[in-house]
Amino acid sequence: MKKNFLKLVPFFIMASFLVTGCNQDTSSTASAVKPVVEAKAQKPQGPSYKGNVVGLSNKAKSISIQVGKGKKAQTIMVKFDDNTKGVEHASKGHASIIFYEMRDGQPWATVVKPKLAKMPKGVTEIKVAELQDIIESETNFVLIDARPAARYAAGHIEGSINVGVKTYKKVAFGVLPKDKDTLLVMYCGGPT
Amino acid sequence: MSTKVAGSAVKDGYTNVKVFLDGEPAWIKAGNVFYASKGNINKGNIVLIDLRSNKKSAAGRIARSVTLPYADDTFDDNIEEIPRKAHIVLYSDSAEEATDAISDLRDEGYKKLALVYGNYAGWVKAGGKTISGPVTTEINWVRILGKGEVGKEDFLKAATGKDTGAVILDVRTADEVAEGAFVNSIHVPLDAIGKNLNKIPKDKKIYVHCTTGARADMAAVELNKNGYKAFFFVANIDCDGNECEVED
Repeated sequence: MKKNFLKLVPFFIMASFLVTGCNQDTSSTASAVKPVVEAKAQKPQGPSYKGNVVGLSNKAKSISIQVGKGKKAQTIMVKFDDNTKGVEHASKGHASIIFYEMRDGQPWATVVKPKLAKMPKGVTEIKVAELQDIIESETNFVLIDARPAARYAAGHIEGSINVGVKTYKKVAFGVLPKDKDTLLVMYCGGPT
Repeated sequence: MSTKVAGSAVKDGYTNVKVFLDGEPAWIKAGNVFYASKGNINKGNIVLIDLRSNKKSAAGRIARSVTLPYADDTFDDNIEEIPRKAHIVLYSDSAEEATDAISDLRDEGYKKLALVYGNYAGWVKAGGKTISGPVTTEINWVRILGKGEVGKEDFLKAATGKDTGAVILDVRTADEVAEGAFVNSIHVPLDAIGKNLNKIPKDKKIYVHCTTGARADMAAVELNKNGYKAFFFVANIDCDGNECEVED
């Protein structure tokens, strides 16, 4: 990787000359260094908030994120600006990690990343086309909607049954197939 | 959530567990449809639309349906009347017609859409309740206020000064406010709330608004965290001078 960065340095210097012209020698060298620093900073540094995004306003350039659990849960408002990376990963109702720095006593987002769900051991991911194939092939399988009951009631994939995280213990024994080798496919409201 | 349920199933001994991680949004994006549960069709706060002809609908339809026949364009002509924030459930006697209607609504930007399993015949076969008699095209849907929301009536009472126990807090930007605002309102942009709490009275209810409700929601959360009794107003608001159009 390091070699790649070194190779990129001349490119950035050239690119910055193209943008700024060659008359401002000092400033163009300074800006030539900058992209390399940014390219190196692949792992965001600094403190972060992890939790569900509960609000996003592009007009006020603020993201509200809920952190902590139970009684300790609190909503924090984080500002962002044009330098914040990955703002598109902050969407209401989805889990995110927001790296931030303090400016004037207020947290400012530097990088926003989606907090991806970890796949449990022995479980594989399928995409929409594979699910369509399974449904069309009339394979014997059970499709499980893991969203809350109200969301399931409002609309779900044809033939799915509702087994949520909270209801699993109560209902799983009654609705899951007796044959433990039967294919089970789970889905919910998105990748987080 | 799907991964947690998958983990539980693996723990219980299931050997062939897969997760469709992209889930609901990807399913809809691929052009597929969703189906509503029977309980939701019977009692949910939905708009239920019968796409069949008036004649067929009068002879028998699912209770609470409005009849907007698809074939004679009544449906398309009345699409504007369908509330955008409602969950909409459609049925017909043709699967193609029902999915066409879903596509039309999606093109118009509607999001919460579902069908009835097996359309009208499926409903009857499943023993679902039906009614007959003169049909209606009038949609009587009222959005149920979410947690922490203030309703239009209460909001307007405060905005017109009739309710002195509540204050309107406008969290739009200074540029937006320059175009116009409610007469009886305090203005603090969302991103400046934390630094301007002294401008907001603590002894009154605070009704927060912006242009849609998104920023108002965030501001109300922030205020309630600081010991206020704040509620947010979900509505499209467009002000010109002291005249504000409110569409909830």
